[in-house]
Amino acid sequence: MKKLLLFLVSLFFTWNVSAQEKFTVNGYIKDAANGEGLIGVSVYVQEVKTGTQTNPYGFYSLTLPKGTYNLVLTYVGFEKIIRQVDLTQDIKLDFELKDDSKLLQEVVISSKKADDNVKSLEMSVNKVDIKTMQKMPALLGEVDIIKSIQFLPGVTSVGEGASGFNVRGGGIDQNLVLLDEAPVYNSSHLFGFFSVFNPDAVKDVKLIKGGIPSQYGGRVSSILDVRMKEGNSKKPQFSGGIGSIFSRLTYERPFLKDKGSFIVALRRSYIDVLAKPFLNSDLRGTSFYFYDFTAKANYRVNEKNTVFLSGYFGRDTFGSDFGFNWGNATTSFRWNHVFNNKLFLNNTVFYSNYDYALQSDLKKKNDQDAFRWKSNIITYSIKPDFTYYPNTKNTITFGGQLTYYSFNPGQAVAISGGVERTIGLADKFGSESAIYIGNEQKLNSKISLQYGIRYSLYNYLGKGNAFELSASNNDGERRRIVKTTEYGWGKSIQQYGNFEPRFAANFSLGQDNSIKLSYNRLAQYIHLLSNTTASSPLDVWTPSSNNIKPQLADQFALGYFHNFSENLFETSIEVYYKDLYNQIDYVRNADLLLNPAVEADLLSGKGRAYGAEFYVKKAKGKFNGWVSYTLARTERKIEGLNQNTWFPSRIDKTHNLSVVAIYDLNKRWTFSSNFSFSTGTPASFPTNKFIWQGFALPHNYYDTRNTYRIPASHRLDFAATRQTKYGFFKRGTGEWVFSVYNVYNRRNPFSVFVRQNEKDQTKTEAVRYAVFGSVIPAVTYNFKF
Amino acid sequence: MKIFRNLFFISFLSVIIFSCTDVIDISVKEGVSQLSVDALINNKAETQTIKLTLTQGYFDNSAIKPALGATVFVFDQDSVAYEFKDLKKDGIYIYDAKNKPLNKIGKQYALYINYGGEEYISVSKLNRVPKIDSINYEVNKLPVKPANGPQEGFQPQFYAKDFEGEGDCYWIKAAKNNKYFSKATEIQVAYDAGFSPGSKTDGLLFILPIRTSVGRELYSDKDTLKVDVYSITQEQFFYLQFVQQVSQDGSLFSTPLANIPTNVVNRNLKSIKKAVGFFGISAVSSIETTIDKNKAKPKK
Repeated sequence: MKKLLLFLVSLFFTWNVSAQEKFTVNGYIKDAANGEGLIGVSVYVQEVKTGTQTNPYGFYSLTLPKGTYNLVLTYVGFEKIIRQVDLTQDIKLDFELKDDSKLLQEVVISSKKADDNVKSLEMSVNKVDIKTMQKMPALLGEVDIIKSIQFLPGVTSVGEGASGFNVRGGGIDQNLVLLDEAPVYNSSHLFGFFSVFNPDAVKDVKLIKGGIPSQYGGRVSSILDVRMKEGNSKKPQFSGGIGSIFSRLTYERPFLKDKGSFIVALRRSYIDVLAKPFLNSDLRGTSFYFYDFTAKANYRVNEKNTVFLSGYFGRDTFGSDFGFNWGNATTSFRWNHVFNNKLFLNNTVFYSNYDYALQSDLKKKNDQDAFRWKSNIITYSIKPDFTYYPNTKNTITFGGQLTYYSFNPGQAVAISGGVERTIGLADKFGSESAIYIGNEQKLNSKISLQYGIRYSLYNYLGKGNAFELSASNNDGERRRIVKTTEYGWGKSIQQYGNFEPRFAANFSLGQDNSIKLSYNRLAQYIHLLSNTTASSPLDVWTPSSNNIKPQLADQFALGYFHNFSENLFETSIEVYYKDLYNQIDYVRNADLLLNPAVEADLLSGKGRAYGAEFYVKKAKGKFNGWVSYTLARTERKIEGLNQNTWFPSRIDKTHNLSVVAIYDLNKRWTFSSNFSFSTGTPASFPTNKFIWQGFALPHNYYDTRNTYRIPASHRLDFAATRQTKYGFFKRGTGEWVFSVYNVYNRRNPFSVFVRQNEKDQTKTEAVRYAVFGSVIPAVTYNFKF
Repeated sequence: MKIFRNLFFISFLSVIIFSCTDVIDISVKEGVSQLSVDALINNKAETQTIKLTLTQGYFDNSAIKPALGATVFVFDQDSVAYEFKDLKKDGIYIYDAKNKPLNKIGKQYALYINYGGEEYISVSKLNRVPKIDSINYEVNKLPVKPANGPQEGFQPQFYAKDFEGEGDCYWIKAAKNNKYFSKATEIQVAYDAGFSPGSKTDGLLFILPIRTSVGRELYSDKDTLKVDVYSITQEQFFYLQFVQQVSQDGSLFSTPLANIPTNVVNRNLKSIKKAVGFFGISAVSSIETTIDKNKAKPKK
């Protein structure tokens, strides 16, 4: 570890020192149509054969020796710009790029910078642009970011309808899902059927599976960085859609003499509204809906300062007398400051909350007999991120983050016969701070490096009780609390610190192929306790404590990237290996809800994941799309389970194939299709049964876990989009989206379980459970004016 | 708090209109057959039975084989022995408790089995049980026609109070018109007056969902309802919870299948022959009522 650190530090001092006079060109690059800052635009300097990219706010900075240069700006889906710059002093140069989709048919396949996948340092990174997602077939016609990324290599889910996603063998709580830099703790509506992101308000989605740069931390598997639109700064605009499940409406416009703009977007499901006339009086009180509200505003104070305020609020409500509701709320405030033409600061302050409540007397308060239960996790954080552009060869990022967590694992009130009891689990608290520094360095025309280090420090804080548990017998059984120690407010109960080195390298093998490798260590201090196949909204996040150690992951990845036919085809092969430490599992019959001694129900162990990902993408042309295939394995070794030997984890899927095909027939019609195939997830079945009190009970003589597999899943979806001449009131544009999910009506097993026969409980059988057992057609109308 | 989780998921499943299940064939490697002990006895002065059988392949739906020729005794804490005999040679070992019931509340009882040259033992405790005060019922109408029972009828509720002192556990059984609700998913256990150890319901009236849920469905005039409260050990509380859990249909939110821990152990800890099943002794209190429409409370 120390050697690696020294190596990383020494790299910082290898910059080329030259006495030549240098100047800086910097500025913002925006979308000409709506003024949105563009993320990741390539700014290439022809003369020195090097360049940079815009940051998440559209900012770029290049420092070059005095001279005349041609800047080439390229960005997929936009027209290329070449601009001659006479660099005799520092200059500020903003650009606006024009959407090229209107020229789709005539696109000349020569825009050189489409080879970004080969040239950039990023590996194990996938982007699906929103335009593509909107063309892909979706369940009930509802464009879904989380479901779309599941077609990418290395990304899976435990089954259709399950919430969240799994990246390279990691659990759903091991993904850091960021919405404008604030973490979203539950990314699903309706248990897992839809994701919480309104596609109309999303600008950019980036999934980082490996080679994770040092500015990110806090989860061990992946980063899903979702950036919201800033709002049209050119003109007021309405857009929206009417779908089978949701309706969406978005309004965006400039304000204060075009120095600012905002966007507000609302979605609401309306099964309940449609069903209302058909329900009788008792059911009429049943509420069953979900909605989300997304808003963002930005204001350019002056040349050097821009502020952004974004918020998300979503909720699922469901029940009548006995009801539940749950949802996320996030707010982030950001301040972009350009210190000088080489130093950029983004400072984010955010708040994120996930909470749920269950109540037995939702409709009418009952003082005699009731049960009310709520739980939440709240996060406050401040996060300054600096980017320093010393010269064209180096881009240095540094900064830190300070986070305070407050967990309410469950507060309940039980009233029985008028007597009230509070079943309170005490709140838990934690703080997580981190500092990091990283550099992206072009050593020469062949080799570029990205390296950095992050140090994270976690404190499990009072007020609270620390439990000392009886020694584990490694038998998978619940432990006892032997001692309880009370800690006062703000007192540190337990502290953990971790160095997290990050490294990535790109070795160019020529114009259109390269080899990349990366290593990263990641630490995770908060954990989602979930012992069910799919995570449920009731699952509770819990902090690391004196008994729960932080999860750690080491990942190595190696990739070969090759583009063919003038970048018409992008291909890559990546292999990865991951070691995971302090993975959480559960004792038999673990009670994870409202259990004050929940730590005694947890087991700990190791994990490992490895695999190979193959990816071919045709990014341009009338016919485009991709094929991805992943061969993978993920296993765990937990003391007390499976005779203490390695077993496949519940998310293990050996083969995963996805095909996404889009055909833009003409200006009016687009057709698309998805196909996916995956091996069934592992399952445990009983070997024997015994009859006890008339029940046939399962028994596994060998006491092994996940030795069987449920049948494989495969599914074909189809969609057709027809552009209409006008939107509403003969203004703007409109489109009809016709989609069919599960075209050939395959009953894909979500699980296979065993049960007693309903009629004769001494008889036993195996049952296949499919979440979607039918073809699901849908129609959606979208408009914009 | 599993009950709430379950309620939650049941409501959830009802909204998934697209889901479906069907019975399929799978092949699983059978394990070695083991002794299975089904030994729940009580303090009543009536015939007490202990069933001994052998485990068989999970998907082997042939008749279960009895474990014959075993010696079965229950001893109480005062070293009094009660012998259970297999009179019909069918693996059902009985003891007629008419004259000498096993009714020493607060005392421990031990089970001894000698089968196939192996000695198996287990210990339980006869815990106290509260008296059931009453059953009342109110007029109710369900929004939709239920699978069982009438749509319009009477919703019964039983009243009993948990003892002061944390950790009393109960198994509450109910019979409608003398037929017990006997599905595994209909098992109703209570920890103090609530659902689980963390619920802090010590000394309360059994909490509401428990009071009404034992009735399971609506009742009509002249139907009978019998409610029995069995005292059980905490170990049996968790065992029954486990039985309930493994008997649930798998779905999005099922937990991994795990073996139910037994309280019957081989005296020779080194022997590879292990038993499955459970031994428990309970005190029982009961109440029975015949629904009379004139005594029903009006709907709130």
